[in-house]
Amino acid sequence: MFLAFFEWCDGLAMSQAYRQSLYLFALTQSLHLVAVTTFVGAILIGDLRLLGWGPVGESRARIARSAQRILLWAGLAVLVTGIPQFTTHALTYQRSWLFVFKMCLLAAALLFTATVRRRVAIADEGGLPSWVPRAVGAVSLALWMGVTVSGRLITYYG
Amino acid sequence: MSSIVPTLEWLEALGWTTAIRESPWDYPLLETAHVASVVAFAGLVIMMDLRLIGVAFMHAPLAQIQRRLFSWQMAGFVPSMATGVLLFFVDPLRFYGNVFFWVKLVLLALAGLNALTFHLKTYRMAERWDEHPQAMGRARRAGVVSLLFWSATIVSGRLIAYNWFK
Repeated sequence: MFLAFFEWCDGLAMSQAYRQSLYLFALTQSLHLVAVTTFVGAILIGDLRLLGWGPVGESRARIARSAQRILLWAGLAVLVTGIPQFTTHALTYQRSWLFVFKMCLLAAALLFTATVRRRVAIADEGGLPSWVPRAVGAVSLALWMGVTVSGRLITYYG
Repeated sequence: MSSIVPTLEWLEALGWTTAIRESPWDYPLLETAHVASVVAFAGLVIMMDLRLIGVAFMHAPLAQIQRRLFSWQMAGFVPSMATGVLLFFVDPLRFYGNVFFWVKLVLLALAGLNALTFHLKTYRMAERWDEHPQAMGRARRAGVVSLLFWSATIVSGRLIAYNWFK
């Protein structure tokens, strides 16, 4: 079922243009890394605050709200630069267990960030036991670092 | 410059550098640790830059957020430097012949210089940043320059994988 989708991605004009160009893929990959770095930075500042470290002079909710705007823009840039990388090598990724693992981890991280992490970050600071934000910060950090690390390892073991 | 080549050849032939280079796990894990620590370090630097420029975390006083983030930025910087130096030791001739490696080093030095200037000059006016327009202007300029340098450092670092100019 999925094979047809991967083959369609591989056959797109954009994928062919990327495969034929010497520079396009490398430059997109580089911009993807800048976008990922910005995205992870916005996650990290929120997670540090949830863990009770970092900018503790500010409320969790204020840090989370400000970081959310960066997350949206950087997330968009990650997506825009990530899609052509995926379609260009879609048939290789189709056979990669690490790619599947990264995508599952990414889905879990996105879901966790948009639901549990968001709720805890904007919740009244006195209304939660202190271990809850700490646990949420730790899980978020582990999930996003897992996405970053597994994404890099695809080059070697994908 | 070419007199350094025998030293690099000696470094590359060492037992432990050869072992890491040829191991199916060591080199990939070392490079992954480098990328993860660079992303953590530069990510937090970019957050500070966005605050300096005035596009995020505007409710937090500049001096306070800088003080709180600095140790975490360093917690990312130290392992990124250590793994970066190790990566060079393990494969010195490849890096030596790669133009993007040298571009990255120059950008790294410029970014470092900008950070040092910021800490020695602009940061001394930290308490006045939020109410003093002139200090604010300097801080904003430092933020823009830092953002450009670190982004360019990341781009050139990624491009080391592609040696277009041999």
